[in-house]
Amino acid sequence: MAGMRVVIAEDSALLREGLVRLLEDRGYEVGAAVGDASSMLAAVAEHHPDVVVTDIRMPPTHTDEGLRAAAELRKQHPEIGVLVLSQYIETTYATALLAGNAGGVGYLLKDRVADAAEFAGALERVAAGGTALDPEVVTKLMRASRQTGGLGGLTPREREVLVLMAEGRSNAAIAAAMVISSGAVEKHVASIFGKLGLPSSEADNRRVLAVLQYLRA
Amino acid sequence: MPSEDTGRVRSTAGPRDEPTGSRPSAGGRPAPAGAAVRAVLRAPFTRRAWRELLYAVAGVPLGAAGFALTVAFLGPATVLTISLIGTVLGLVLVMAGLRVARVVSAGQRALAGALLGERLPQLPPARRETGVLPRVDARLRDGPGWRAVAAATLGLPIAVAKYIAVLWWAFGVFSLTSPVWWLLFRNHPAGTHLSPVHFGRLAVETWPGTWLAAVAGAAILLAAPWLVRGVVVSELWLLRRILGPGEMAARVATLEQSRSEVVNEAAALVRQIERNLHDGAQTRLATLALHLGMARDKLAAGGPGEIAAARDLVEIAHAGAKEALVELRNLASGIHPPVLDNGLGRALENLAAGSAIPVRVTTHLPERPSPAIETIAYFSAAELLANAVKHSSANVIEVAATSPPGGPFVLIVTDDGRGGADEACGSGLSGLRHRARTVDGTLTLTSPPGGPTTVSVELPLHP
Repeated sequence: MAGMRVVIAEDSALLREGLVRLLEDRGYEVGAAVGDASSMLAAVAEHHPDVVVTDIRMPPTHTDEGLRAAAELRKQHPEIGVLVLSQYIETTYATALLAGNAGGVGYLLKDRVADAAEFAGALERVAAGGTALDPEVVTKLMRASRQTGGLGGLTPREREVLVLMAEGRSNAAIAAAMVISSGAVEKHVASIFGKLGLPSSEADNRRVLAVLQYLRA
Repeated sequence: MPSEDTGRVRSTAGPRDEPTGSRPSAGGRPAPAGAAVRAVLRAPFTRRAWRELLYAVAGVPLGAAGFALTVAFLGPATVLTISLIGTVLGLVLVMAGLRVARVVSAGQRALAGALLGERLPQLPPARRETGVLPRVDARLRDGPGWRAVAAATLGLPIAVAKYIAVLWWAFGVFSLTSPVWWLLFRNHPAGTHLSPVHFGRLAVETWPGTWLAAVAGAAILLAAPWLVRGVVVSELWLLRRILGPGEMAARVATLEQSRSEVVNEAAALVRQIERNLHDGAQTRLATLALHLGMARDKLAAGGPGEIAAARDLVEIAHAGAKEALVELRNLASGIHPPVLDNGLGRALENLAAGSAIPVRVTTHLPERPSPAIETIAYFSAAELLANAVKHSSANVIEVAATSPPGGPFVLIVTDDGRGGADEACGSGLSGLRHRARTVDGTLTLTSPPGGPTTVSVELPLHP
């Protein structure tokens, strides 16, 4: 998706510049790179980006400005993808962000910018209406989940697939990440849905929600 | 209130705040004789004097009644209880007496508040218990209640003193107006002595004499407000002593306050450290990883253009890594300056070396203070130096850290700058004061306009 237009909100000038460099290097167009949430909303109105990358803790209160702006954005412009970047992963933030609709939204640790290709892949997924959930969110939820019976019944391979699936990846992406065939992934997915009793064969972001709901139940 | 009175922290921010006597005289400078005379002449006409008079007038019956009621209950109660004949009735009367004394002291408090605007200490309520015996026990061993009894008992002599002071006023007014009385009652029947004013056995019997009496009355009236004030001030002092929290309670209140300050400060500090890490080193490292990740991809691609771009990216990453190191080092030494490990003296010299205004450091510490004290002293010195550099326009700053044998540790920071430092202006002094208080230390600021500014921090050697 070269030519994809991005707006960046990150209060650290250093990281902001780094992000601009990374995205422009990959052929994206950075419409604006700003330092706080209200400027971000203004920049979105001006540039109509395909996707927004936003930090959570930003001025003035340094708490969850970015998160609230992201929610606002999703309500006002559901067609614009929002990728939230943060130094920490809070599962409550993740569930708030995904509430009811996992399409066009992402929540990643800032660490993920270290892998440009992965990061760009997640960004494109979000811009295209998909989901990008940090593996940290998924593992945290799995650790806290009371569904130990169901999860315990999964093979290690299936658990791996479950995490990748919950991150919002497509079967093809999972196959590429695990270096197995698409057919093998499909078989694993079907087995997971069967074991957990989830409704199967849905769009990628729908199955993210289904898995999350299962984990939090 | 204990928090104010027992803070053991004094601030004398210039002559404006010098403790004044009963009457704040002109401007705070030592009052010239003229001002004192004016104060005496004006005293009978001030609102304060009238309020005090009213307070004294009201206090006479109230004090007498309070005493009478309390004694009326507790007197028979004591006799009954001791005689064992009516112990139960006696104890009931004791409880009633305590209740009465509490009501009397509440009335006293209300009166002082309404007329004088003075806040007398409020008695804590008696313990609440369930069951007959525990309740009786709580009522009988009601410490504050017994203190109210003591106050009510003292109410009698105080009421007498008030009565005399009030009479003094009446006497003055009567004497001052004696010419009027003379005129009004001039046609008295023969043989009647008109003697409105007695000075001992002295009586006024002539028209000029009434004027002499009037002069004497004026003098009495000038003295009367001071007499009333003397009585009222002594009473308030006594009541505060009796009804106020004991030394132990005040100490507990101070400790509770300083503990909550410590806890809050520690929480704030941890929060600050998290914030610094989040905004600083963490972000720098994320950026560093971003650049290195890009460089790796470029190198993997391997074209000549990519190699050059990778070199740039590594350059940026390298600079970023060095900045992250500086940032982390500053953060770590802000948490605990490693130079303190070599003793406070070395640490203070280190601070002085980094100051924009020349600093002379003297240390005389025969015994090394505890690490906590050294840390507080170090950060206080750092803050005070920074303040002086920012605000004082001084030529030289002196820092002295001493501990006389057997005495506390004292840090004194003096500058020859323009003075006028005010703690209320958010100079960080109150933070230092809190910090000192956490170890029962004190901070004293002296900064008259025109300088010099001296801040003295006194801390125990070992908290």
